[in-house]
Amino acid sequence: MLLFRSEETVAEWCAAHELPVRPMITLDQLWVLATEWYSNRLTEESRRPGPAEMQEIFGRIGLTDPFWDPNTV
Amino acid sequence: MDFLTNVKLAIYRTIAETTHAPTVADVAQQLGARVDDVQNAFAELHAKHLLVPEPGDPTRIRMAPPFSGVSTPFRVTVNAKTYHANCVWDALGIPAALHADGMVRARDAHSKESMTLVIRHGSPKPTPCVVHFAVPAAHWWDDVIYT
Repeated sequence: MLLFRSEETVAEWCAAHELPVRPMITLDQLWVLATEWYSNRLTEESRRPGPAEMQEIFGRIGLTDPFWDPNTV
Repeated sequence: MDFLTNVKLAIYRTIAETTHAPTVADVAQQLGARVDDVQNAFAELHAKHLLVPEPGDPTRIRMAPPFSGVSTPFRVTVNAKTYHANCVWDALGIPAALHADGMVRARDAHSKESMTLVIRHGSPKPTPCVVHFAVPAAHWWDDVIYT
């Protein structure tokens, strides 16, 4: 995932790379993902969230499109 | 604590303290363990998506998310130390993992304009930006270095 100043530069980057524009999220949404994924990373219990946990976290911040489904093949 | 957890914590705590990823030999020396055993633990941590070895050299670490074992365009300063992150998600993940304020220096992926993100008092300072995901969630680990 990449950082952009605006949706306009996302569109320009996608056009330059001949890729479709895919979902974008805000800084506040990204912060939720960062804390959910990593706040316990330096502890004994740390692990990556499993698929069901990922879906719950994504749903909590409004990311319910199939793009965010970790089980979609 | 089991051996795998000891290896995991040795990796992450070494990076947090030094900003550099340890090698298999470094971790073996730190734990007083056999190199082969630590190498196997690296492979197991990779299977758990807690580590990505350097392509072509499984004794070195490319990623111990959120930290990068190599220089990247995402530089993150926390507690007067500067780390490299694998992506913008991981860039915010470093202050999250260290439970501290932080500053991310990066660039717009297209225009290359310098951008700064600030984490203060447990949340990001409002900054004009968006984060674009080119790869669906189900495929993030197909080629995580690209993702």
